[in-house]
Amino acid sequence: MISFDYVAADDLDAAARAGTASTARFVAGGTTLIDLMKLDVERPTLLIDLNSLTRRDPSMSTITDLPGGGLRLGALARMGDVAWDERVRRAFPFVSQSLLLAASGQLRNVATIGGNVLQRTRCPYFRDTAAPCNKREPGSGCSALHGFNRTHAILGTSSSCIATHPSDLAVALVALDATVRVRGARKNERTIPFTAFHVLPGSQPSRETILQHGEVITAIDLPPLGFAKRSVYLKVRDRASYAFALASAAVALDIDGGRIREARVALGGVGTKPWRSTEAERVLRGRAPNDATYRAAAEAALAGARPQKDNAFKISLAKRTLVRALTEVAA
Amino acid sequence: MDRHVIAPLDIGQTAPDFELPDNSQTARRLSDLRGVAVVIAFHPREWDPARAEQVELYKSAAASVDGMAQIALVALSNDDPTAAAYGVTNLSAVFGVDQSGIVRWRHTSLGGAAGSRDPRSWSRREFVTAVLGAAFALAFCPTLDDGVAHAAPRSRAAGVGEARPVRLNINGHDTTLHLEPRVTLLDALREYAGLTGTKKGCDHGQCGACTVHVDGKRVLSCLTFAVMQQGKPIVSIEGLAASAGASGDALHPVQQAFIKHDGFQCGYCTPGQIMSASAMLNEPWGVSDDDVREAMSGNICRCGAYPGIVAAIQEARRGQTQ
Repeated sequence: MISFDYVAADDLDAAARAGTASTARFVAGGTTLIDLMKLDVERPTLLIDLNSLTRRDPSMSTITDLPGGGLRLGALARMGDVAWDERVRRAFPFVSQSLLLAASGQLRNVATIGGNVLQRTRCPYFRDTAAPCNKREPGSGCSALHGFNRTHAILGTSSSCIATHPSDLAVALVALDATVRVRGARKNERTIPFTAFHVLPGSQPSRETILQHGEVITAIDLPPLGFAKRSVYLKVRDRASYAFALASAAVALDIDGGRIREARVALGGVGTKPWRSTEAERVLRGRAPNDATYRAAAEAALAGARPQKDNAFKISLAKRTLVRALTEVAA
Repeated sequence: MDRHVIAPLDIGQTAPDFELPDNSQTARRLSDLRGVAVVIAFHPREWDPARAEQVELYKSAAASVDGMAQIALVALSNDDPTAAAYGVTNLSAVFGVDQSGIVRWRHTSLGGAAGSRDPRSWSRREFVTAVLGAAFALAFCPTLDDGVAHAAPRSRAAGVGEARPVRLNINGHDTTLHLEPRVTLLDALREYAGLTGTKKGCDHGQCGACTVHVDGKRVLSCLTFAVMQQGKPIVSIEGLAASAGASGDALHPVQQAFIKHDGFQCGYCTPGQIMSASAMLNEPWGVSDDDVREAMSGNICRCGAYPGIVAAIQEARRGQTQ
């Protein structure tokens, strides 16, 4: 790890200003960043610790009620605190489940909500500075395209990058139409729909979100969505716990009079970004909640999938994962 | 909380003179030893690791290394005026004093947890390591101006990435370590505070061996920088029992249960397992074995002692709810 300077921010605007320096990085939980710094994948010369912002603004790390039944998750709220929160569990079960199925108890006590949605891919070539990687070093090439790509993406890939987005929480958030609240270096605030927050790799995989350098996530808003009470996050992985998803599904169904009135579907572990499937939602809407409907939705969700050499299995795995999640949530 | 103010003599200061104990060669006072580098070890009176056999061990080790043979070792009790002059009353401490009588190196005991282990206690391993470390520093780094542990705040502001005073509350004791920002909490505990109970497994947050408690919650000490943990109570395996109110040498109920149920084989993951389990029992998990396995999935045991680990945690849980 290279040497760096450290400041604990006591003011959001000062932090954002300092954060515009090209080699500065914000640190909150640090569980992704410090790992990548040890690998020399991240080489900041200045770390700006955001944790101290809660002294001036406690809401940065708490969960507050929004009008109509929504919740505002402070960016510095810990994964564990959000996962176990009674309001989150009651109104947004798939958000709680996505968090509890992610990482480990120790990591969830430290990793933050804001950091979670910004975590970097687990692509082994991204993590290996000896390997070419367009995401880490633009223009150097993609080692995964012709390498061992069993865990890589089948949706949203490009000839530059096939890395999956690793967050479970982000899959639930994209299904929920959450909103990211951001503050910039010139005291400017903006809100970003979660569906537009992450971007496809295209020819520029080093860019993963539409955040500007120096912008700080202050909160993520969960909008009121009555039928989110009936939601499930299902995660399939190589071992029973403490592993990243091979495929996952976040689903919520509004079933009324034997028909699906409204549906939310998103997939994880298979996309280069948290993958909302409006195609599957269209198939579900208006149809009877049964196996044939779920299978049709799964076909629609994976219609655009492009497998690599080692990960064709993910197409059928993702379909089955989605069918099972829909079956569970409708039960 | 038992606050323990550590104010040992600074590096760069002149070592106060004192009368040498009878066993120290022909010189009578420290000042007689100018021109000779001296390692001074303070230890509790009647304390085993500092007894003659340890001194002999030091001498034979030093004799085997060129440049160390001439460095004298003086072992002193930590309860007399000399200890007071060095600011280490009731502490275990090692000072490296160079040929001109200036302190060039030091290491002091942080001790165990408040109320449990005697803060003066120092393991045999730490004693020998500290003494040999001091001798090495004197022999091979004659201009060294910086201690490894407990170096005092320097007056000038730290530059980019340079070591600076980092104030940590570890096992109930406030202590100041001199650390670069890139030192993880794990390395601060093991390499700077001398608390080697916390283990380094993968160093990437994948194995759980480095688990400690911060603010009462289990966290991975390898994935946080020490400088980020100032002002928060940190508990390592050395202070776990005391943090739960045990006194003397009494173990934490989870420690006790691990022994009873054979929750380990090689033992390397065990401190992390125990720290993780003891905090997990305060989290809102269910009570089934499957809940335990899920809640403990961040702690890997390559020996496969999982059945014993689960049994131990379940027993500790039952004891907790009685």
